[in-house]
Formats: sequence, structure tokens, C-alpha cells
Amino acid sequence: MQTPPSPSDAITVSNLRKTYRIREGGSWRGKTRDIVALDGISFAVPKGQIAGFIGPNGAGKSTAIKILSGILRPTSGEVQVNGLVPWTNRIAHVARIGVVFGQRTQLWWDLSVAEGLALLRDIYGVEPERFIRNRARLADALDLGGIMDQSVRQLSLGQRMRAEIAASLIHDPDILILDEPTIGLDAPSKLAVRAFVHELCRDRGTTVLLTTHDMHDIEALAERVIVIGHGRILADSPFEDLRTTILSERILELDFHDTPPELTLPAGASETAREPHSLTITFDPRQIPAPALVAHVGHLPGLDDLRISRPSIDEIITRFYADHAA
Amino acid sequence: MNLRPYLTAFGLQWKIGLRYRIAVVAGLVAQMWFGAVTLMAYASVYHAAPDVQAPLSLRQAMTYTWIQQSFFTLLPLGCLPAIGDAARTGAIVYDLLRPVDMWNWWLSASLARLLGNAVPRAVLLACLAGPLAMLVGLGAWSLAGPASLISAALALVSIILGALLSATIVMWWNILTARTLSPLGSYAVGTPLAVLLSGMLLPLPLYPDWIRPFLLAQPFAGITDIPIRIYLGTPIPGGAATGLGLQIFWLAALTLLGRLWMRRTVNRLEVQGA
Repeated sequence: MQTPPSPSDAITVSNLRKTYRIREGGSWRGKTRDIVALDGISFAVPKGQIAGFIGPNGAGKSTAIKILSGILRPTSGEVQVNGLVPWTNRIAHVARIGVVFGQRTQLWWDLSVAEGLALLRDIYGVEPERFIRNRARLADALDLGGIMDQSVRQLSLGQRMRAEIAASLIHDPDILILDEPTIGLDAPSKLAVRAFVHELCRDRGTTVLLTTHDMHDIEALAERVIVIGHGRILADSPFEDLRTTILSERILELDFHDTPPELTLPAGASETAREPHSLTITFDPRQIPAPALVAHVGHLPGLDDLRISRPSIDEIITRFYADHAA
Repeated sequence: MNLRPYLTAFGLQWKIGLRYRIAVVAGLVAQMWFGAVTLMAYASVYHAAPDVQAPLSLRQAMTYTWIQQSFFTLLPLGCLPAIGDAARTGAIVYDLLRPVDMWNWWLSASLARLLGNAVPRAVLLACLAGPLAMLVGLGAWSLAGPASLISAALALVSIILGALLSATIVMWWNILTARTLSPLGSYAVGTPLAVLLSGMLLPLPLYPDWIRPFLLAQPFAGITDIPIRIYLGTPIPGGAATGLGLQIFWLAALTLLGRLWMRRTVNRLEVQGA
């Protein structure tokens, strides 16, 4: 399991464990119980890659993100980010990463976006010329021109998220950690965020670690998906591989103007839903190609219409979680 | 060490403290009112028992009261409001993501907030209760001058130490807030302790003999009580040096233990959710 860290890796994680001790019953006399949030995970992210981190709620994603950001200490295991151990070199480590927690705000409610960025300049010790350059670049790429002088409390969620992303990048971090950056955003804002992250990675070689529940984020951005469940890594592969290995199956939907007839299906196909006027058949195209299956059902009496579809990304993931009881 | 981030934190909170001008006026009115009521109570008590040898003269008790009222907002009544908000919303994780020494970062902000609140009020109230009260013929009720020039100089040093000490105690409330993820506990514990033990409610020199050494030796005495005693030139056992020594001792002890407590807290801070 243990691979030696390579110099081209921005992040290496090996055998990482985190156990939370929780007290039951609320009082100080309550029993304590250990909850395993991370049960020995290992992975490495090369420089300049966008890696998507997905998993159901409670899978351990947030715990992993917090350990990588240096704000949580693991129970055991090794982590190196930019060659530093996050929790032992916290100050040096956090100076080189940018983090956005989609559900929290790092800008100051009472200040304008511009004032907030200026405070971050002082906190991170960004030189004036570099600050002006970065601010102009980020304002342009994230379309902040009109909102620079507005106070953060007046911004819409989409505007605020763009400002938050700018805030996380004002000090040119090598690594950007995005924890649910598109949560609650409308479609155009999501597209804007995705396009920006894509450019950031392409033009500046920033390594991006992204968690999300929006599979379209993953599909649009991540070259690689790490699926986590029950504190373990369930899959770690390019997204397309995930799609073909987990769920190569297709769906054939048949509409009838009467009650669908009973039918016998060839191997590789099975009836998965029956309703008063429709049938859903799931099939594996490697066993029974779509044209053959269509030929098989095409002569059925009362058939009005038929459709073949691939399962949606959400279905793929739901199925994957179910298969792994995650 | 690069001081820039800490000066930034200080500047931000100082500005926030100064922003609430109406609060300054409202606070001033309340403090004038409480000060006046307290003074009348002392006057009647002192006149009712003229033979009793009180540890403070009536004039001294009045001056003590005015200075206490002036510095009411210097007391560590609870955590820094910004940290309370951050704990509630979970934004406190961002504080851990800044490349700064957390203790000094929060301390600068806490000190700035205390001073931003206290300095304008103290200056205004000192003018009103001092020169202005004398001008309008209320000299007998006014804030009296320092016992001597040396007392004034030492009192200035002492009040600076007092402000640092108060900010250090606020740090303890901040850590408590970070641990419980709610600012309420810090206010529930901090306000009564600070009001009672600082001498705000009743000057510490006026407590019964047997309890006075304990009251002087506890950290809250170092915020305003010791500076006021030095200003008044009233005896502290061992002199002004003891007073300053106690302040420095508590500053060092609370910083050392507080930093340890903070390290433990940061290591186990588990902000739930994403």
C-alpha cells in the first residue's frame, strides 16, 4: 500500500486514520464511543491535477479535507502536502494553500470585498505589486468588477462564492481545496465557477482538490475521482472508467397503449420496473447489443414507443454507493 | 516576526469598536447615571458613620468609582464578538487556515476591541467627571487628580498592563467559545466574575479585612483596581511595585497556561459539517 512520495506529487496520503471519540448521554458520566471517520486511506495527487473527492454524507470526506488543510490532526498515518506535514507545520503549510468551504464565509461581512482582500494581503504578506496584479486578474476572471466595493453581506450567494474563491487565491497558493464550492448556486454561477477552476489548473498549474455532491462538477472538472465511503477509498480512477466499470448497463424503456405483455428476455437483460402502461428493461450491451434487444421486443403487440438511455451520473453514483453499502 | 497580520487584526477591531458611536453615548449616559447613584450611596454611608476609619476616603471612593465607570468596557465581560460569531457559524475554521500565530492574532484583535470601546468612553467620561464637573461647581463630586506625578506615571503603566491583562483574560473566553462553539458560556462566566472581582461593583479596598488580600491577589484586580490604587496613592501592601508585580505575574501565568490550553483546543477542535 505504501508508495514512496514522488517529487511530482503535490499531495501524498498514506494509511490515514481518524477516530472521533464521542460521548453518549451528554453528561460527563456518559460512556464514550469511538467513531472511525477515516479507516486507513492512501492516495497521491500529482501537481496540476484536479482530483474530485466524492462520497455520501458522513463518508469521511470533510475529515480528510480538514486534515489536508491542517486544521485537524489525524489519529495516525502520514500526509505530505507540498512536502510539509500539515498539522506539524501549520503556519508554513497554510500559507501555501487556498481553501474555500462552500458553506462558510472567509470574507468579513461588514467589509467590502476590496477591503477584505486587502486584509488578506496583510495576513499573507503579499507584496503590493503582486497583490494588485492578482486582484486585477481575479476580478477579471471571476467578474468581480461590479461588486468590489459592495459589502459582503449585500452580495448574492453566487457573487459571494466568486468573491470567496478570489479570497482563497490572492496569495497564489500551489494547492486549492474546494469543499462544495457550488452548493446552492444557480446554473450560470456553477458554470462560471467550473470554467474558472478549469482555467486556473490549465494556466497556472494549480493542484485542485474538490469535494462536491454535484456530479456535474465532477464530470466537468475532475480528471480523476476518488470515491470514499465508510472511511475507505472505494474507487480511485478517471471518471470515464468509473462510468464504464461500475455501470456499463443501459436502460430500455417501452411504452404501451395497453397493459404490457409478459415477455421472456434474452440473457443480459432483465425487467426492472413494470407500470400500467410501461416497462423498463435494464441490459448489459456486452451480453446483448442494443439492436438485438430492440429487434427482440420490436414486434410486441401494443408497443407505442421505446427509448434507450444511459444511466445519469447521479444514478451511477447512487448505484455505486449501494453496491458498496456506503 | 512579521507584525503586519497582528497590526491588521488590531486595526480592524479598533475600527469596529469605534464604529458604534451611539453605543458610546448610550454607555456614557448609563455610566454617568450609575456613577452618580453610587456616589450618593457612598456619601450617605460615609456621613452616617463619620468615625469609622475607612480604607478609602470619600473623595477617594468617588474618584475610584469614576475611573471604574470610565473603564467599564475595558473589563473582560466575554469573548471577542467576532470569535463568538465565527464559532456559531463555523467560520472559525478559517481562523485556523491563516498563516499566523493564533494566540497573538486573537490577542491583537481582542485588545483592539477592548481599547476601541474603552478609550473614547474613558476620555469623555474623565472630561465630564473631572474638569467639567469642577467648572459647574460639582467639585466635591468630581474625579480628583492623581496623588502625585509619580503615581500618575505609574498608573499609566499599570493601566496599560491592565488592558493587556484584560485582553489575555478575553483570550480565555475566546478559547472557551472555540471549545463550546457558543459565545454564551463565556458571557455567563465572564460578566459576573469581571464585574465582581474587578472592583466595579464595590471597590476592592472596601471589602472586609480578611478577604482583601485574596481579592488583591486574583487576576481581575490587575485590570482596573490596581491602576486606580496606584493613581490614588492608596496603600497596596508592599507598595506600587507589588501591584505592578501582580499584574506582570498574572499576565505571564495566564499567557503561558492559555497558550497551552489553546494548543490542546486547536488540536481537538472539530467543527462539524463540511
